[in-house]
Amino acid sequence: MIKSVEEYLDELKAELKDSDTATVQDALADAEEHLRAALTNRSENQSEVSEEEALNQVIEQYGSPEETASAYREVERRTSPGLVREIPTQQVSAIKHFLGVYDDPKAWGALLYMLISMITGIVYFTWVVTGLSLSLSFAIFVFGLLFAVFFMFSLRGLALLEGRIVEGLLGVRMPRRSVFFQKDLTWFERLKTSLTDRHVWLAIVYFFLQMPLGVIYFSVIVTLFTLSVSLMAAPLVQSVTHFPILSIGVMRYYLPSWSTPLFLLIGFLIWTLTMHLGRWIGQVHGKYAKMLLVTD
Amino acid sequence: MVDSSTLTRKFQKEMNAGIASLVLLSVLEKSNEPMYGYQIARLLEEYSGDTSFMKQGALYPVLHSLENGRLLESQVEPSVSGPPRRYYEITPEGRDMLVTWQSVWKQMKSFVDRAIKGG
Repeated sequence: MIKSVEEYLDELKAELKDSDTATVQDALADAEEHLRAALTNRSENQSEVSEEEALNQVIEQYGSPEETASAYREVERRTSPGLVREIPTQQVSAIKHFLGVYDDPKAWGALLYMLISMITGIVYFTWVVTGLSLSLSFAIFVFGLLFAVFFMFSLRGLALLEGRIVEGLLGVRMPRRSVFFQKDLTWFERLKTSLTDRHVWLAIVYFFLQMPLGVIYFSVIVTLFTLSVSLMAAPLVQSVTHFPILSIGVMRYYLPSWSTPLFLLIGFLIWTLTMHLGRWIGQVHGKYAKMLLVTD
Repeated sequence: MVDSSTLTRKFQKEMNAGIASLVLLSVLEKSNEPMYGYQIARLLEEYSGDTSFMKQGALYPVLHSLENGRLLESQVEPSVSGPPRRYYEITPEGRDMLVTWQSVWKQMKSFVDRAIKGG
């Protein structure tokens, strides 16, 4: 019996492991869209049925992962190759692959993430440090318990927010709903649940590290961006303003005019490599965020 | 020996392969606005009554295949309650194709009916 939409998607992915990646992506997106829409509809109309039971009723109509995978494989097999948009990954030349980064939304998303992660990192760090210190200080008061629960609850909200940013900019699938406390727990039990939850502590570690990481990301991107733009702009600025590239004492050094294309090329190469680096960091950070912020 | 339910399921699956395209095109042709997968599945559930002709999950690859053939077009829109939804709409080529397919279906239906009745 399948317990969650995620479990269904995992099984469907495993069933489609030999299929085209685009088919797998379509199948997963279709299944998630359908199952969640059907579950929402059922929870509105049959609130007495448990979520797991409702999910299995929905799957009964939608088809098991095996049946769904077979339907996709069947259509894939029948569709004429002329109509299938195949991505010839192996035939792409090295230059196309190198420059293709400009056409990759993940690379641009990762750069934007690296820029804003310094601000979000500072906010998370401040929040976690303040929250932890106040929770400990207030522990001697009665209301300290309420404050600690509020702080732990806020961490789940922050984790969800960071997850949305990571998914939106880095393209790594993150949870769309926060994990909620059970309704019938007392304040003390809620605090106990949070304190013993490994993921709450992992989230605290993530928020702590997010500030130094954010500062590193921001510095790397801004430095490389400035370097590449400076290299590309230097010969042009020199030709317009006659300002020397280097000035030591009374000596003025100018770039020879033949070096203009060379500087443009080096600047462009550095920026392109920066985009590749950004995309790679984005992928690694996405995996790391998933590991620390997503509950099993 | 293969049991009868397996053979029936196989027969149903083979029949559905072509019919699903006709049904989906017809539903989207009648609709005044673009529809998303779950909406289409609910409508077909109403049409089929208590009998389930095909799993709802099998509709989606057919929708993609019709879109690849330019008989449908789609766009993704955000949803309030979950992941974004893909809304499908019939294209002018799809409408023309539907007229042809409906005539093929009528001929086929009459041929099958006559074959079953025996003349």
